[in-house]
Amino acid sequence: MSVEELAFLALAAVAVGTALLSLLVRELVHTILWVSVFFVSLSAIYFLLSAPFLGVLQLGVYAGAVTILLLFGVMVTRKRIFSKEVATGIGPFPFALAVVAMVILALAAASLPQPVTVVRGYDVTLLSAQLFQVDGAWLVLLGCVMLSALAGAIYLVREGRE
Amino acid sequence: MTELSVASLLFLSGTLLAIGLFGILTRRNFILLLIAVEIAMNAAILNFVYFAAFAGTSSGLSGQAIAVVLVGLAATEIAVGLAIVLALNRQRGSINVGEATTLKL
Repeated sequence: MSVEELAFLALAAVAVGTALLSLLVRELVHTILWVSVFFVSLSAIYFLLSAPFLGVLQLGVYAGAVTILLLFGVMVTRKRIFSKEVATGIGPFPFALAVVAMVILALAAASLPQPVTVVRGYDVTLLSAQLFQVDGAWLVLLGCVMLSALAGAIYLVREGRE
Repeated sequence: MTELSVASLLFLSGTLLAIGLFGILTRRNFILLLIAVEIAMNAAILNFVYFAAFAGTSSGLSGQAIAVVLVGLAATEIAVGLAIVLALNRQRGSINVGEATTLKL
């Protein structure tokens, strides 16, 4: 087993563990801290997959902006930000069912033929040419969606609306 | 040169999607719901990135470009979601989605 495979397995374990923890802990602030660790581990996986631009984007947008936005949402909607949720967690029967399903799926995945494929990296200049020349329409579309989302968000939170 | 097996990567993204779906189906707090949606969406973005890493140059680059667009879309969705959280909190005094039973916020 190569170093890359070991690193991938460790990062995948961290990603799955923190994703589960973020949905199972009782304090909302702890949830957001765990989910930020989840985003960072995914960004490390992107670096491992030779996609450094996406790794940096994941760090900036998710681990930075989205985490802060979520924290802001928690801070403005409750009086005591460390108060606990009423009903979180998972019952013993669904948990056992999930574990059994996981084991069956893992065994099925392990029984498949395992073609080990070489990961290829792309130059960032190539990616930017693709983004702004070939797939430029997608970026324009994203800009339009973001603009209308901005207008919608302002409409939703504006003062004096009945 | 990095070498990884496709099955382990697919298993990871499938597991993350399942965790996100579990959160969407069981949580009642709007912010937790948003986080669950983000986890499921990240599983999809991960799929794009690693199939891009295994594909040829032109289609691989398209995969990474789509992943960039998807990251932007997910951030937009969080912003609108938090605006809904604020409106809900102002109208109902709670961000429990079980209490939002009418379309009029």
